[in-house]
Amino acid sequence: MDFILNPYYLQIVMFMAINAVLGISIYLTLSTGQLSLGNAGFMSIGAYVSALLTIKAGAPILVSVLCGGVAAGCMALLIGLPVIRLQGIYLAIATLGFGEVVRVIVLNLKITNGALGISGIPSMAVIFGKQLSEVGLSSGMGGLTLQQIANLLVLLVLIAVVAVLVFFCIRVHNSRVGRALAAIKADEKAAEVMGIDVTYYKILMFCLGAVVAAIAGGLAAHLTFYIGPKDFAYHRAVEILLFAVLGGSDVVWGPLLGAFLLTALPEVLRFAAEYREMIYGAILVVMMAFRPQGLLSTQTLRYIKEKLGRSRVNDTSTQPG
Amino acid sequence: MISFTQGRFVKMRWMAAVLLVLSMVVMAGCGGNSASTNKQSANTAKIGVPAYLSGAGAAYGEAIRQGLELAQSEINAKGKIKIELIFEDTKGQKNEAINAVNKLINKDNVVAIIGPTLSGEMFAAGPIASQAGVVIMGTSTTAEGITEVGDYVFRNALPESLAIPNTVKKATAKYNLKKVAVMYSNNNDWAVSGYKTFMQSLKQNGVEVLTVETFADKDTDFSAQLTKIASLNPDAVMVSSLYQEASLILKKARELGIKVPFVGNNGFNSPQLMKIAGAAAEGAIVSSPWYPGKDDAKVQAFIKAYQAKYNKAPDQFAAQSYDALYIMVNALEKAGSTTDRKKLRDNLAQIKGFQGVTGKFAFDEKRNPAMEATVLIVKNGQFTELK
Repeated sequence: MDFILNPYYLQIVMFMAINAVLGISIYLTLSTGQLSLGNAGFMSIGAYVSALLTIKAGAPILVSVLCGGVAAGCMALLIGLPVIRLQGIYLAIATLGFGEVVRVIVLNLKITNGALGISGIPSMAVIFGKQLSEVGLSSGMGGLTLQQIANLLVLLVLIAVVAVLVFFCIRVHNSRVGRALAAIKADEKAAEVMGIDVTYYKILMFCLGAVVAAIAGGLAAHLTFYIGPKDFAYHRAVEILLFAVLGGSDVVWGPLLGAFLLTALPEVLRFAAEYREMIYGAILVVMMAFRPQGLLSTQTLRYIKEKLGRSRVNDTSTQPG
Repeated sequence: MISFTQGRFVKMRWMAAVLLVLSMVVMAGCGGNSASTNKQSANTAKIGVPAYLSGAGAAYGEAIRQGLELAQSEINAKGKIKIELIFEDTKGQKNEAINAVNKLINKDNVVAIIGPTLSGEMFAAGPIASQAGVVIMGTSTTAEGITEVGDYVFRNALPESLAIPNTVKKATAKYNLKKVAVMYSNNNDWAVSGYKTFMQSLKQNGVEVLTVETFADKDTDFSAQLTKIASLNPDAVMVSSLYQEASLILKKARELGIKVPFVGNNGFNSPQLMKIAGAAAEGAIVSSPWYPGKDDAKVQAFIKAYQAKYNKAPDQFAAQSYDALYIMVNALEKAGSTTDRKKLRDNLAQIKGFQGVTGKFAFDEKRNPAMEATVLIVKNGQFTELK
């Protein structure tokens, strides 16, 4: 229990959850085979919209985060319509350009405070703490301080968001839409010939990815007190893509695993001091050399399931009947 | 048969990968452990230092580290209080700074934190340290509003809001400035903050601003902006940017025949400015708490010791972090404890009349430094006092 209550580990787990949401956002766009680098841009839209709504308009966090998602979704629809005709590397470059445009606009707007960024964003933990003390729990409960309870609540909210998204992805994957997506990913032309409305599904997933990325942005803004244009620059777009590349983009568990590993790794490697970055890079290179399709694929999942299934069968067979 | 050999091949590849990763981790482990073998005793104070040690701004982090380590070795030699420094790399990124500060507070149990390097990092990490009740002191965080994020946030970096008005006032009086041009880097939080202060203090001094020109960090071509400025014929040009861009601006400006003085923010305050701009740097003006030419025994002793240890001259970042550790030790001694975080904060807030290498030092009621800055001008390739 001490381990999970330590704010340091708690914070890392929170970042993991945020990155997991980002991983799901890239999984959604990748599920139609679209390589988009615009998710950092959508994330910054979500972060700024929700931060400004809570600060300037005093909106509750939940409302403002959802508004951020809607705003990014509309934006995605707007740029998705022309851009989605592009494929592969061309789409990647167009969406990368979009991310940069968002960054430069944020840099020059007055309301976003330019390069100075927005500081003093109310954090979820602080607000939960306030509400708890209003209910009369100011001295804590069950041996936990108020601060700890608030932090745990934030963590629960984040985990709930991830769980809902994973559930959603699995449901989509096993539905008619999921089959259509898989067909488009395998071969766009063939899917079109089969009568699947390719453009519709591609824009749908592009927008969904944007909404999810924006939700991650909004949650991140209310976790870290401060956002600035630097947080959503090119390196963030690549980082998000990396979750899917490392973890595998076939199944939703892939980007999730990628997000967990890539968030934990820099912290685990802290003991290595100045060698940290070197090892981090080397591990990525080794992973890509030996497992280019990502850590998890449909085959690995099936393999794991079979193993589990077999052991279960063995268990029942050894039980005295 | 084929599938058998394939299976073996895959297995071997996996083993090779695992071995590679393992060997790297072990290698790193051997290299990195030496720092944490220090023995812990009752009068040892653990101080955490999250700093920008890798990436584009690693030079700042390195100077900060060296300044701190020099002060540490001197303090430990005296033996009253022993200091253990724990460095963490933040890569100049907000989330890394949050994680580093959280680790230092909750895993290493430090009594105080000196850092992080960038103002943006402090905006994110300051509230966390403050909430945990741990003193966090920036040595290079000059942006507006830093100490307002929490009661435990201090800084001994001279804020631009003090330095720039000082420079503008002196330069206006000296050169009788009536109309000036202003340039700044608009994608750098700290440079934008400097620009705002420039505009404010120019207004206060009744100086007319002819034009405001912007550029971005890492730009190399400033001819468009400077051609426009040259046509307006200002009495001086105010520049808010890092030294890299500032040097190139100076070079181009002199090429275009702009001979007026250039007044800079803290970015000008680097020996690199003269190195890159050469003769073009002549007449560049900046305010600095750190002035290596100062006729002060303490300053000269510091420069000598730094030279001997690192074989190079200290810059302002090294000087400020050197002072920061001494200020911290001063407060620790007054608090009479090397672990009590609250006592340390209260004693630190009352520091007054501390004499460091960056001059006489005190904290004001908002935990900002109250100190005097010297206005410097580049003459014959050297910073000299502007009188």
